[in-house]
Amino acid sequence: MSTRRSASPPLLAIVRYTVRACVPAQRLLLLLPVAGALLFGLLARIPDDVAAVAFARVGGTAIHTLVLPITCLIVGDALLGAEIRSGVFAFTWLSPVSYATIVVGRWLGGCAIAAAILVPAAAASAIVAGAPSSALAAALAAMAGAGAYLALFIAIGAGFKRPVVWSLVLVIIIERLLGAALAGIAQLSPGWLAQSVLVGLTADGAGLARKGVPAGWPAVGRLVLVAIVGLTIAARRLRSLRPASSAD
Amino acid sequence: MTDVHSTDPAFVDDATVEVADASVWFGQKVALSELACSFGPGVTGLLGPNGAGKSTLMRAVTGLIGVNSGSVRVEGRDPRRDREVHRRIALVPEDEAVPAQLTAMELVRYVADLHGVRDPGAAERALELVDMMPAADRRLRGFSKGMRQRAKVAAALVTDPPVLVLDEPLNGADPVQRVRLTELFRRLGAEGRTVIVSSHVLSEVERLADRVLVLIHGRLAAAGNHRAIRDAMDDRPRHVLIRADEPRRLGAALLRIDTVAGVSLTDAGLVVTTDRAGDLAVAVAPVARDLGVRLREVRPLDDSLESLFRELVR
Repeated sequence: MSTRRSASPPLLAIVRYTVRACVPAQRLLLLLPVAGALLFGLLARIPDDVAAVAFARVGGTAIHTLVLPITCLIVGDALLGAEIRSGVFAFTWLSPVSYATIVVGRWLGGCAIAAAILVPAAAASAIVAGAPSSALAAALAAMAGAGAYLALFIAIGAGFKRPVVWSLVLVIIIERLLGAALAGIAQLSPGWLAQSVLVGLTADGAGLARKGVPAGWPAVGRLVLVAIVGLTIAARRLRSLRPASSAD
Repeated sequence: MTDVHSTDPAFVDDATVEVADASVWFGQKVALSELACSFGPGVTGLLGPNGAGKSTLMRAVTGLIGVNSGSVRVEGRDPRRDREVHRRIALVPEDEAVPAQLTAMELVRYVADLHGVRDPGAAERALELVDMMPAADRRLRGFSKGMRQRAKVAAALVTDPPVLVLDEPLNGADPVQRVRLTELFRRLGAEGRTVIVSSHVLSEVERLADRVLVLIHGRLAAAGNHRAIRDAMDDRPRHVLIRADEPRRLGAALLRIDTVAGVSLTDAGLVVTTDRAGDLAVAVAPVARDLGVRLREVRPLDDSLESLFRELVR
């Protein structure tokens, strides 16, 4: 039988709800990013290079190109887009809570899920690669990158009917293809910036830094900025949202 | 507004929800067309076939969608723009979708927390009202449709809203639960809350509501108490199928009765058109007896709600 408990502030209620409701039912799936990160950590042992540099070049690139965006895309869609499509979002929308609180609560919940998956995965990857000194930097890069990605995917979920498709367009076409050619796009890309965080905080990693893209802590600052912009757009989009219904 | 509409059954004097010439469209599809009505304390039934615009109206009233023209006001405020309105109104959506990972208790507590409900026992009481306490700690994904509906009703009631909007709330409920939920909704209406209930089943609305609004193709087709709606049904021409041993002789005799507007012989039997089905039912048996014709079946062909709706919009 349930025990009585006192009421929670709306923001905390939304964060708790997000962590409970938006984690996939098949929890074992959450181990896939960890397995991927460990594999890329092992691959980083192959190059004949200083371990930390090899990890930043091979493991870091693979994690920030594949593991980070795909994990965030799955979690990010569950945070808002999937609920809007199914109609479940009505339970949250039909409340006096402000749109900003809803968006921030969902984002914080998503960050908690991402942190539980990606931070240990990135740190373990560095250790497996033989670069334990990069573990903290890898964890920070993964967390900061995840925060920015999740904010963007929440904004896409609030603004587009097929958020997964548009999120893939963002990651594959805008970030990977255009971002590889244009530093101006890479400067705002969570994937590129996360890699720059790792590179910037890696000893002897200066040679890996991309020209025109901030590295280390300035990259963390840029990722925070991207996250704030994403959350602001999402909150504004919720104002004009028409949550789906089978009647539509 | 109140004075102008004081004699119009689509409006009530002490309105808490006012819909003024509201239109909603989705692309080319018009879901609501210049609908004007109001709702006040007590239970009001929204009746209409699937696609009539009931859910759209309810979603507009709760602010889930905005109206393209006209206006909707809940206690004088715009539910689409004013988030504070949601402290005063709750919706039980028709959608089966629920956060499947949550238990019924977690869902109700989540809604309570969002609304700032401070009473720690409110969630238990809401679940008790719909007989869900025994299943309170079970996850919603394992629930039947009826149980999900009851969990959603509990989530709506936990905020103690003065305005309650229920979209097909009895869907999937077993007969016992139907009776209990019906009693609950009537009690909530008697307490002075504005309760709006939709259904496409006339008898269900009759049990639930004293006042009924009939929607068809996004427009208001009829309004009043359920007797007025029934009268509207009874006044329309109906088709009655009569299967008898000698349909041709019986048909000729029936044509001499005032209530019969026409007779046609079909493969299924004799189809009689009448504008007073009750009188016809009384007259058929004596006519058949006098002719020595044995009746095998007498049944209305178009007694469905859909046929009523078709007649109401003709």
